[in-house]
This record gives sequence, C-alpha cells and structure tokens, in this order.
Amino acid sequence: MKKIATISALVLAICIVFVSCDNKRKPGKIYMPDMAYSRAYETYAERDSNKFTTDPSLRGTSKIFYNNFPAAGTIKRGELFPYTLPNDSNGYKMSATVNNPLGTLTDAELAEAGRLYNINCAICHGEKGQGNGPISTSGKIGGIANFTLDMYVKMADGTMFHSITYGRNLMGSYASQLDRKQRWMMVKYIRSLQPKAVDANAKPAADSTKSKIK
Amino acid sequence: MSRYKKIITKAITSLLFILLFSFSNNVIAADGEALFKANCSNCHKPDADYTGPALKGWSTRIPNKDWVYKWVANPAQMIASDAYAKALFEKWKPTVMTAFSNLKKDEIDAILKYVDDYTPPAATTGGATAGAPETDNSLLFGILTLVLALVAFILLQVNSNLRKLADEKVGIHRGEPVPFYRNKTYLMAGILFLFALGGYYTISGAIGLGRMKNYQPEQPIYYSHKVHAGVNQISCLYCHGGAQDSKHANIPSVNVCMNCHKGIKEYKGDPIVKEDGTQVNGTAEIQKLYTYAGWNPDTKEYNPDNNMDGVPDGAKPISWIKIHNLPDHVYFNHSQHVKVGKQQCQTCHGNIQEMPEVYQFAELSMGWCINCHRETKVDFYNKETGEGNKFYSIYEKFHNDLKNHKMDSITVEKIGGTECQKCHY
Repeated sequence: MKKIATISALVLAICIVFVSCDNKRKPGKIYMPDMAYSRAYETYAERDSNKFTTDPSLRGTSKIFYNNFPAAGTIKRGELFPYTLPNDSNGYKMSATVNNPLGTLTDAELAEAGRLYNINCAICHGEKGQGNGPISTSGKIGGIANFTLDMYVKMADGTMFHSITYGRNLMGSYASQLDRKQRWMMVKYIRSLQPKAVDANAKPAADSTKSKIK
Repeated sequence: MSRYKKIITKAITSLLFILLFSFSNNVIAADGEALFKANCSNCHKPDADYTGPALKGWSTRIPNKDWVYKWVANPAQMIASDAYAKALFEKWKPTVMTAFSNLKKDEIDAILKYVDDYTPPAATTGGATAGAPETDNSLLFGILTLVLALVAFILLQVNSNLRKLADEKVGIHRGEPVPFYRNKTYLMAGILFLFALGGYYTISGAIGLGRMKNYQPEQPIYYSHKVHAGVNQISCLYCHGGAQDSKHANIPSVNVCMNCHKGIKEYKGDPIVKEDGTQVNGTAEIQKLYTYAGWNPDTKEYNPDNNMDGVPDGAKPISWIKIHNLPDHVYFNHSQHVKVGKQQCQTCHGNIQEMPEVYQFAELSMGWCINCHRETKVDFYNKETGEGNKFYSIYEKFHNDLKNHKMDSITVEKIGGTECQKCHY
C-alpha cells in the first residue's frame, strides 16, 4: 500500500513539474548559459557601466557607455555628403536651390528605388504616387500628397528631399529608414511617376525610363 | 394631322428640354463630386472633420462666398490679412491648406454644391460573423480513454470473479485470489507504463531545453502585427528594414512608429480580444507610445528638451522583449536569407500578419535549420540564359553536372550550407 502511495505521489509530482514548465510567457530554460549568452555586447542587449563622468557640465552622475555613433564629420563609404540645411521654414525655402546630386538612374537603380518606394512610401502615397495608398483610402491619415498634382510636379527636387529628410506636416522623417542616396533616388523615382512637367523651371522628369517600371 | 404633329413636336421638345435640364444638372453635381475627390478629399470630408474641417454647412460659418474663392486661391495670404482665416489657421495648425489657384469659380461652386447635398451612404451591416470557436477535444478524448480503461478493468475483475465462482461450482478450489494491487502482471504493467511516461517526459524535456517554440512574452505595448502588417498592409521591411541590410532585422525605433502615429491617435478597427477574454484598448496603447516618444498629442508637438539629453523630456526607448533568441554559438544573418536567399519572412516567422501577439513559430533548432538547407534550392547561375545569382558562376563542377544531367538542381547543402563552420565558429 505504501508503495502505491509513493509511486502515485511521484507521478503527480512529475506531472505538476511538466505542466508548470509549459508557460509560453516565460522564455524557458537553457543548458550551458555561458555558451548561450554572449560575453560581448549584442545588439539591443542591456548594458551597464561602472564608469561615471566626472565633468560636472555633463551631469556628473551619468554612467559612461561605449558610444557607437560614428565620429562626427565622417561619411560612410559610398554615401553622399551630409545635407546641411536646417529643419525650419528658412531651410525649407532654401532647399529649392539644392540640386539632385544623382544623374540619370540606371534601370537597376530605378527598380531598386521603386522597391524602396513600395516599402516605405506606397503605404500612404500609393504605388502610382496618387496619394491613394491603403492608409489613405481607409481614411486613417488625411492630407497625403498626390504627386501627380501640378504643385508636386513643379516642386523642386531639393524641397522633396528636404521633406523626406525632416518630414512635413503629418509625415515623419525618413532619414532613419533611407540613407541620403536612397532619398535622392526616391525623388528621382517620384519624378518618374509624375506626368511630364509643364513648367520650364521644373526638372525634366525621368520619363525615358518610365515604361520600364513594373 | 398637323395639329397632332405640333403637339407631338412640342411634347418632344419639352421632354428633351427637361431631359437636358436634368442631365446638365447631373453633370454639375457629378463634376462637383469628381472635383471634390480629386482636389479636396485628401484633407476634407463633407460631413466630418479630418485633416481639415468638415465642408458641409460652410455657408453658416464663413463670411461670404467671395471669401471662399479668395481662400482657395491663396490661403497663406488670407491667413496674413483676414481675421477669420487666422482663427481657422490657429485651430488647425500646423497644417496649412494647399493653394488651389487652378480651380475656377464655377468649379468651386460645384464642389460647394456637392458637399451641401452630400448624404452619407447607408452604413453597411456588420462584418462577417466570426467562425465557430475552435474547441480543443484532447480533454474529451482523455476522459473517454480513462472511462474505457476503467470499464476494461472492472470487466477483468468481474471475469476473474465469475471464473472463481464457476471453478467452485465444479469443485476446484483455488484459494483466496491475489488482490489486483499485488498481482504481478498488474504491477509489471504499471511499472512499465510509468517508465515509458517518465522516459518520454525526460527525453522531450531534455530536447526542449533551450528551445522556445510558442514563446509569446507580454510586450510593454500591446502591438498587434495583425493590425499593422495584416489589415493595414504595411510591408515588414518598413519597420524591420535591417533584415535586408544586416545581421539583425531591427526593432524599429520610436520615430518609425511616430511616422504614422502622429496622424493616427485612436484605434477604430475591429475589437482586439486577448486569449483570456479581456479586450485591448487600442487607443490606450497608442497613448503609451506617445508617453515613450515624449509626444504631446494635444499640441501635436514633441516635448521640449529642457534637460539637454538630445531627446524630448520624458521620452525613453521601449524595452521590447526579444522573442526569437539563438544561442551565442550560432551565427545567423538576416540579410543573407532575405536579400540573397530571397526568403519570405513568413517562412521562419509564420503568418505574422495574422498574429495579434507574436509568438515563436518555428523551432529554431539545428535540425530545423538543416532540414531547410537540404530542401531549399539556391538561385543557381544559368550560364546560357544569364539568369540567377552570378556568385554561383564559379561552381564549375556543378555547372558540368547540371549540363550532363547528373544533377537537376543545387540545394543550399550542395554549396556548403550544412558545413559546421558555416554557422558555428
């Protein structure tokens, strides 16, 4: 009799252990944590520091962390020069004088620009740039630019770049998602979506390549 | 005869006139609608405030019709010179209305007429009814098995009792039967059963150590991939752009969220219900985002940065909990799979666009990786057509084997995708 009690208690205990382990909110257990967790800092890993700043102007109690920003003034290989106009109304006006540093895009570059456009822009501005992406047509955000309108056909390349870089009205800055070259490519791609410019001031749109976009 | 002719002619003329009149009227109304949709509907709705005010009932609010013409032609100048225009700008800033100097007066009239006559289309009846909830039958089957086992046990007991009675009747005396819990057959069966059960749990537990399939942590903000990637069709790479460029797929920083949520303040979609039956308040979750971003939805501005730490006061990063974890001794690179291998996100992450809360879909075990590497064909370079990834043009032997029909396709394994040091180094 005693034996049965022991056995059934054992079975019960095993069952409880395994049922309680089956919690999907917990990450579970691992063996050999020293092999599973990185000794080096991993992306997004929480870090701590035992060094503190001594400079009182830098709030003396702050901890010093490894600064993973590139040194000021450095430019990534293959990246365009920094855009220096400030994010204010004056900078917006001045932006019209900035020219697109890119020449005519090759087919492959334009296809890549179109791919990036469809990822980042088409969700609001629509695949054809008519301001009718899914977010726009469902009425979630209003005031979305229709690039085929006259005012956007006449808008200078630099002003478009300025708006993509800093954001405009409800649109946010896309500087963290698209690097400078990609942003200028985006301007070129938007030009290819527009009807041919009627204004002499506007840059001739890259119409010759238009038919090649899917 | 001629009298009839006259009457008929008159009738036809008047009919034509009426037709013409109603037709031309239609043209104006339709024009108004078309003009409104082409020029205004991005910021205005006829009957509700949007990015700009509702247009219906304009005549009760604004000074006179001339004001509308001037305003549409040049809003910026009107804000500078006109008191009502200035008040309007104060209410809706920072957005200023786009100038539509190309709209003529009669076109503006047509638009105004359209918005005044506008009646909202009848509301459609509620969406499709939800399918019957899926029930888990395993409990039912478990109980049934138990009942059947009990019945079998009772029948066995009855059987042995009956045999004993029958034997007694014939005259064979067997003595007191052994009770079932001391019966060696039963004990042996029980021990074997326990051994198998314990073994099963031990083995599966040991294999499962370090694997987190179905891991679904509670995130600081109830972020629904179903709403974002499913309903709103946002591309995965919009937020996780790193997947095409780097090892990590990137958790988007708060500014990426704010690209849309500057404009979207409330959740108005279908109700989101958690597994425990509580409903998620989407609007409250968006408010949490505003707190993290240091954004003031009332003034539509970020908080000032008074403590000079480079971010708006009160803003802090969201500490999302990482779901897909690989041990440090495994190297995995997203761009290699997404850009070169052209794999869909869903291959490893499951139907993300249908998950309100993300869970780990795949096992992320070594066997799972290797299986895929054995089955997946690479985009092998075709020397004749020039199609495929040019990197593979150097695999001379495979090109020959393909030509001689010794092979029909090249899998990841063939190009060394199952070598240890590909992922472990």
